[in-house]
Amino acid sequence: MPDQAFIATGLRYTAGGSALIKEVDLSGAPGEVIAVLGPNGAGKSTLLRLLAGDLRPDSGSIRIGDLTIDDATPVELAKVRSVMRQGGNTDIPFTALAVVEMGRYPHRNDPDASLEKDRAAIQVAMERTDTIHLAGRVFATLSGGEQTRVVMARIMAQESPVVFLDEPTTALDVAHQERVLREIRRLAADGRCVVAVFHDLNAASFYADRIVLMANGEVRAEGTPTRVLHPDLLGSVYRQPMVVQTHPTRGCPLVLTVDEDGGLSPPRSPQM
Amino acid sequence: MAEAWYQSADLYRHRRRWFWPVVIIALLAAALGSLAAGAVDVPLRDVVSVLTSKIGIGNAPVQPESVVWGIRMPRLLLGFTVGATLGLVGAMLQGLLRNDLADPHLLGIGPGAAIGAALGTVAGGVRGAIAGGVLAGVLTSFALRRFARRASIDPTRVILSGVALGAVLSAWVGFVVFGADRATVPPIEFWLLGSLAGATWRILGTSFFFLLVTVGGLLTATRTLDLFALGESEARHLGVDTRLVTTMILIGVGAAAGATVGAVGVVSFVGLLVPFLVRPLVGYSHRHLLPAAMLVGGLFVVLGDLVARIALEPVEIPVGLVTAAVGGPVFLWLLSRRRDA
Repeated sequence: MPDQAFIATGLRYTAGGSALIKEVDLSGAPGEVIAVLGPNGAGKSTLLRLLAGDLRPDSGSIRIGDLTIDDATPVELAKVRSVMRQGGNTDIPFTALAVVEMGRYPHRNDPDASLEKDRAAIQVAMERTDTIHLAGRVFATLSGGEQTRVVMARIMAQESPVVFLDEPTTALDVAHQERVLREIRRLAADGRCVVAVFHDLNAASFYADRIVLMANGEVRAEGTPTRVLHPDLLGSVYRQPMVVQTHPTRGCPLVLTVDEDGGLSPPRSPQM
Repeated sequence: MAEAWYQSADLYRHRRRWFWPVVIIALLAAALGSLAAGAVDVPLRDVVSVLTSKIGIGNAPVQPESVVWGIRMPRLLLGFTVGATLGLVGAMLQGLLRNDLADPHLLGIGPGAAIGAALGTVAGGVRGAIAGGVLAGVLTSFALRRFARRASIDPTRVILSGVALGAVLSAWVGFVVFGADRATVPPIEFWLLGSLAGATWRILGTSFFFLLVTVGGLLTATRTLDLFALGESEARHLGVDTRLVTTMILIGVGAAAGATVGAVGVVSFVGLLVPFLVRPLVGYSHRHLLPAAMLVGGLFVVLGDLVARIALEPVEIPVGLVTAAVGGPVFLWLLSRRRDA
């Protein structure tokens, strides 16, 4: 039993002549939520696709649980990691329930597979994501936020120890965003390791155990939110001045953008 | 109850309840009709007595027996088998390519198989035709795979490439047929328009053998095929070896469609029309869609052949003309509805 849920070492990936990932090491423990942050083009999605096995690194190795990713069959891989891709298909003609049910596909030939087990997993997943009432709706007719929650339920039904999520909260309103983030914490509380790409620095601040800050295909900083969310570091990585305060109720770092000139010429006159 | 919400999320369960009995009754009626009607009308009573005599009840009158059992029965069964196969492969291609416009013959597999079948006829008669059709169908299917790889990016491109491929291959059918001995190779209208007129028990037996193997293989992929609706990467994330499955399905589709071409020529639009008709009735899940497409495909070709035989009596028209006359408008309508076309 490895104490790490996954271990990636020395990852490099080049496409079209440019190095998208340059020498990245990353590992995650069961029960941990890892947020991958960084500006557009930093290599966040590419890193996630490498970890998920969608792309083959030029060099380096990835182990998930006991599996070496190169030697694993698709079904073996699907039992140890699930993936929410960014911008998946929206015109799916199946019902939400059928989509969540597809999360059980990798387990169909398990020795202990049973209809009851599948249904129990599906029901738990749909209850937690608040999608039971959508069960009979056709996926293509759902709103963006509803679709994200259904996909989240599909991933939970897959019951894999490692979960990769690419911008899981982008399409959601604030309430559903918080809800999905709490579910991500619950996945971790169940002993899974979650790696999620975020754009919202404050979501990462409150919900992640560890932040991996990327820029230009490299890890610029890695550690707890309090360590990584530092105004000078963020300012140089994002090329946008920021201040970091303490969240009034949550106590975690609260990141705010500020004007280039320190607020001397606001874009809009302050309302009186 | 946990079961209740689960069941109620199956949107098509009520429709399926009446779909199956209606289709089976329609199929039996169409079968009896096509055994009775034709150049010589056989009264239904005689049709029934021929059929019952085959299971050892009573004796059949000789003249109706030779028509009903010797000519029309193999034709009926071959029509059903061909239609069921084309309905199945059409539904599978559409699921695989995530595209309602996919049809083996529209994508060029039909004409490609016809070249192989025509050449096979020269080498080995009817059996050669079917074997040649299977082989050439698989080869064309692989040619198509080049385009299919881009299916998730631009489905219209796949269709247009398939249509172009089909046009080129149809021309080559002409070169083969006109270059060959007319006494051994059937004429071009047989290959490109399809006809059940030559149906015999022997053709039925040979094509049935190929179809049983390929159709049986294809039907193992039902649940896997559902996952392609999520997208190819999602299917892979859920444990589907998408490259392998795509290759196997294209081989199966090419072989099955090719076998039908070897037996009866290109009967077009069945694979396009039938899944389109059936989906609103049984739903998108391939577990229900594939068997439904088979039955309705069989029914469609049996009815089409009946029309082909009696519409311009005593002249018989190719069955592919009938299926195209019905299927073509549906294709145009589907095409006009597409946002990306």
